[in-house]
Amino acid sequence: MDRRLHGRGPLFDTDPPGLASRLVGLRPYQLRSGPYEHAVDVPFVVFTGGRGLGKSALLGEVRAAYQGHTPIALVDGEEPQFAVAPPERPVAAWSPVAQALTTIAEQLAEPVKGARRIGFPRLASGLLAVAAGGWSDRDMPRMRQEAERILLLNDSRSFLDGFAGRWATKVVAKLVSTMSHTGPVVEGIIEATLESFSEGVSPTHRRLRRAVGWYRDYPNAGGNPKLGLILLSGHFRADGDSRAHAERHLVRALLADLDEAYASVMQRSHRLGRPVVLLDNVHAPAGRAVMEYVLRDRADGIRDQVVFFAALRGRTLPGGGTFPALPNAARRSLTEVTRATGWEPGTSPSSRALLVSLPPLTPDDTLHLMGAACRGLTMPPQLPHATHRLTGGSPLGITLLAASARQNLPRGAGSLGALLTGDVAVHEDHTGRPAYRELLDRLVPGGRLDELTVLAAAHDRASALALAEARLPDDFGAAGVLGLEERLAEEGWPTTAGQFVGDPFLRALLLLRLHHLGTDHAEWQATHRALIDHYGERDGADAARYRLHHELALGTADFAVAHLRDTFPDADVGDWLSALLFIASAPYFHAHDPEGRDVTERDHRTAIALGRTDAAHPVPEGVDAVLHLRVRRLLHAVWQLTDPLVLPDPQVAERLRFELEQLSNLRPGGTALLWRASRDWPAHATAGRPLHVPQDDQDGSR
Amino acid sequence: MAARLWRWLREDVWEIRFRRYVALLLAAALVAAGVWGGLRLTREDRSCATGVTRPQGSNDCVGVSTTAYDFKQHRFTAAADAIDRENRRLKPGSYVTVALLLPFTTSAPASLNDTLHELQGAYLAQYQVNHEPTGEYPRVRLALANTGADGAHWQEVVDRLEEMTKGPERLRAVTGIGQSTDNNKKAVRELTHRGIPVVGSSITADDLANGQGGKDPFPGLARVAPTNTDEARALAAFAQVTARKALLVYDKPGDPYTRTLQTSLEKLLPGTLHQPQSFTPPADRTQDGTTANQFRQITQLLCDTPKSTDTVLFAGRHTQLRQFINQLGQRGCTDHRFTVLTGDEGSYLAGDTKLDRKALTRNLSVRYTALAHPDAWKGKTAATGGSTADAATLAELIRRAEQAPVGPIGPTALDDGQLIIAHDALQLAVKGLREATLNGRTAPSLADVVNEWALIKGKQRVNGASGWICLDVHGNPYDKAVPIVELKPSGGTRFVQTAWPERDPPADSCLPSA
Repeated sequence: MDRRLHGRGPLFDTDPPGLASRLVGLRPYQLRSGPYEHAVDVPFVVFTGGRGLGKSALLGEVRAAYQGHTPIALVDGEEPQFAVAPPERPVAAWSPVAQALTTIAEQLAEPVKGARRIGFPRLASGLLAVAAGGWSDRDMPRMRQEAERILLLNDSRSFLDGFAGRWATKVVAKLVSTMSHTGPVVEGIIEATLESFSEGVSPTHRRLRRAVGWYRDYPNAGGNPKLGLILLSGHFRADGDSRAHAERHLVRALLADLDEAYASVMQRSHRLGRPVVLLDNVHAPAGRAVMEYVLRDRADGIRDQVVFFAALRGRTLPGGGTFPALPNAARRSLTEVTRATGWEPGTSPSSRALLVSLPPLTPDDTLHLMGAACRGLTMPPQLPHATHRLTGGSPLGITLLAASARQNLPRGAGSLGALLTGDVAVHEDHTGRPAYRELLDRLVPGGRLDELTVLAAAHDRASALALAEARLPDDFGAAGVLGLEERLAEEGWPTTAGQFVGDPFLRALLLLRLHHLGTDHAEWQATHRALIDHYGERDGADAARYRLHHELALGTADFAVAHLRDTFPDADVGDWLSALLFIASAPYFHAHDPEGRDVTERDHRTAIALGRTDAAHPVPEGVDAVLHLRVRRLLHAVWQLTDPLVLPDPQVAERLRFELEQLSNLRPGGTALLWRASRDWPAHATAGRPLHVPQDDQDGSR
Repeated sequence: MAARLWRWLREDVWEIRFRRYVALLLAAALVAAGVWGGLRLTREDRSCATGVTRPQGSNDCVGVSTTAYDFKQHRFTAAADAIDRENRRLKPGSYVTVALLLPFTTSAPASLNDTLHELQGAYLAQYQVNHEPTGEYPRVRLALANTGADGAHWQEVVDRLEEMTKGPERLRAVTGIGQSTDNNKKAVRELTHRGIPVVGSSITADDLANGQGGKDPFPGLARVAPTNTDEARALAAFAQVTARKALLVYDKPGDPYTRTLQTSLEKLLPGTLHQPQSFTPPADRTQDGTTANQFRQITQLLCDTPKSTDTVLFAGRHTQLRQFINQLGQRGCTDHRFTVLTGDEGSYLAGDTKLDRKALTRNLSVRYTALAHPDAWKGKTAATGGSTADAATLAELIRRAEQAPVGPIGPTALDDGQLIIAHDALQLAVKGLREATLNGRTAPSLADVVNEWALIKGKQRVNGASGWICLDVHGNPYDKAVPIVELKPSGGTRFVQTAWPERDPPADSCLPSA
């Protein structure tokens, strides 16, 4: 079974050991220990990347690689359970951190090969003290339920201590009995808890007593564990910095309990490697707080041996600044940590973190992934490269397209557009939906998709505002545009000059959606018309380009041909080529019926680019017919070859070479540039690389 | 499959240190067990029971057994169990050990019967002396010593017995011995030379006795059975043999028993008219071989003798005696009456199924000197030399031995006298042991026992069930009662009368004449 993620070798490699192996001390998927890279201080590893870069998949894979071999927990900070308190729980006794710690401990407690369950007596008594703050004798069933869940963290489920849960039930009964007494609830509960922890003579009970003693060192407790727990509960209820202080202690309790599971020689002889905690969406409150507390404790010299892998949405920028919490964190790309991280802890808390940016997948990874998904199917040879060109290496995009290819290739789909509009069933038991919608749901969750779909056609804030004014409801307005702009940046989407949605893949998906909005593409046409109008009101070459770009998007090539034909003799060749590229980057959608089926049979650009329609095409009067037709062919060739939704046609590429060669003869001053382009563009286009205007070098040689 | 096993070993066992150490310990234990088992398997287990092993090249279980081991002979089981029971009852330090040296693993039915009866006799004596109302010490513990079917492994057994004299077993005497074979003779010689007292039960050979020719080749040997010489003398006293009427048939070359018997019988026939006739049996005298043919010829010779020749003196072993009698039964001259006189080997024929009993109806009677006979002390008997009471004591004990607590000891038979003589032999041994034990001591020294034999006489005599046992200075019984027994045509034997080597029973004082 090929479960491994593609392109994530630096993390999962075993020989030489990858990052995971070096930090955890265990080979992924195998119960074999290896040397540690950081024997004393362990970096808090944070994977960064935008949506769809496979961070969650990566963490999921880490869990799969180590589950059952070492204690491992995976929590997602964006899960609803960490967002708000359950309705019946008072806010004073609940926090995302406490909830996250409970979940983490429950997962870490699971037995692994060779070792039994881990008990969390320190965390359990702390959580119990905190939860008691929200208990009253009016809500016994809830209290019973909460107490049982917390106490089960402490249950070794060993037959030596009685059968699973029996101890917890006994303690809960005791706690309930204290509730009937008058007096402060918290103190009564803490007292009863400490009492039940101190009973018994088994090794487990000795462990419990030692654990309770841990709270002696709580500030101002004066060596009294009971007082320590009361203070902790009080701090938690007080909210604000006091709550943070209490939460930090709870995190410390969790780590102390984990450390104890590795403390004795006997325990170490049962366990391999280090425990692992995976925090997905660590920018969300629960994960972020846990990360901060751990980093601060580590900076304060409170050591632990837990390996943290977190996922942070957003991209690492060279100057930092995206992550206020981690100003001094070391930054690496995934490939840089292949052999060693080179990480050294500094003095500040954030220097204890190691930010590892996840790169997009390479064309080779794409090829392997598609190949694996489409085993046994005939796949068009350009498909993997075209997929990579469309997705920009987004693992989510590639995976979904690969799934779509597996399901839709046999049905006759041949282009990426067809794969995106084709139904794809993500899970075996689900009914299929169009792939682009599935992708957009994942890439742009959280609403405003319709607005963004329209704005995807815009090129900058001004055009976006104009578009919003023309096409979006009034209540959206300028604030909505700016809000969306900010959200795109926050979520780590790149910005590109000349595009409101900087990421080409996302833009392509949004435009595809735009085209499919409504039955007769009215939204599509209206949007482009609005932009044409917007740019029509302006002067200048740029405005013309934008206008022609949108005209072309609407299927009208004549203005673009005329513009390019007329500017060719006099314009700077570089500018002309750049204009050609920009105009030809217009999305190409031909008409299709309401079900999405093509009305026209074939992409007509290929026929035009190859000159098959030249005879039927009326050349306007008074123009150089040869140049006109050549520019027309050229425009359609570039349009076809740079369209991310279709596979580049080698014949068209060859024709492109020829046309550019011919043009180079007509412009003595720009011969070199045109010649260079005639060589580069067909090659880049067939390889799925973006086309660029070649650098102008005077001698014409490389 | 192998890859999965390897992965399991590598990851699930080796990597987890605790499991690794446990696995290594287990593996070490397994290897040790394997090596140990391998060594054990390669080394042939030659032990049969505690103290009993099979020597290289032999399947006999040889050695000294102090447990209930029956030498794989079912007929011994009950007796061996009874002895073991009695042995266990004894408190450490209260007893001395007496070894019963017999061919326990013999396969010959006659010898087996003898051995069983000796075993039973010895046990009954042990029970008797250990349960005497006077409560005399030391008590007696019996050990069963086997030198093999043919006695070939006497050397190992003697070594072991000597060890036992020095150990907590406190072995102080060896009894039994059985037949007068060369191996037994060597064993007795070795035992006595190592200072271990020996009491022979059924040995009658002259050269397995002291005092022959004035020499004591076996210092410390005492015997219960009279020597062949004494038997021959008793036989002569009984039969009034005259040289003119008798003819000697003897084994050539013979064994110690036959040779001494031949010598003794020859002395009875000075100036005989008839030349003694010899026969040559197979080396193993329990085998028939072709000896019957020789006897056929000897029978023809006998028929040729004058009618006045009516006595045949036979110096041979029981197998040959049986063949001789069977040939005599087929002789042509059945009108010519013959009486065959022989030594105690005749007793074997009482239960011999190969004996042609019709021969005994054809003017032929076979009489022999028995070692003991149950009827010897019944009815009207001599006033001295033995008593009805002593015989009755044993008879009573045998009756009690039919069930617990004395028995069971297996089926008993007294006809062959072996039980009686073995009983008396142990009685004699115990008498010597107890007499030699100094006051305040629980066991005598070996040397004291050796010196004791010569003092067993007069009032110190042993009143055996077979008669009085008064030892001369050489350890031989003086004027021991010799029952003359005749084979019955209907099977079994008939006690004829008691004969005395000295012609008359001993005097009441029972002191051997100088």
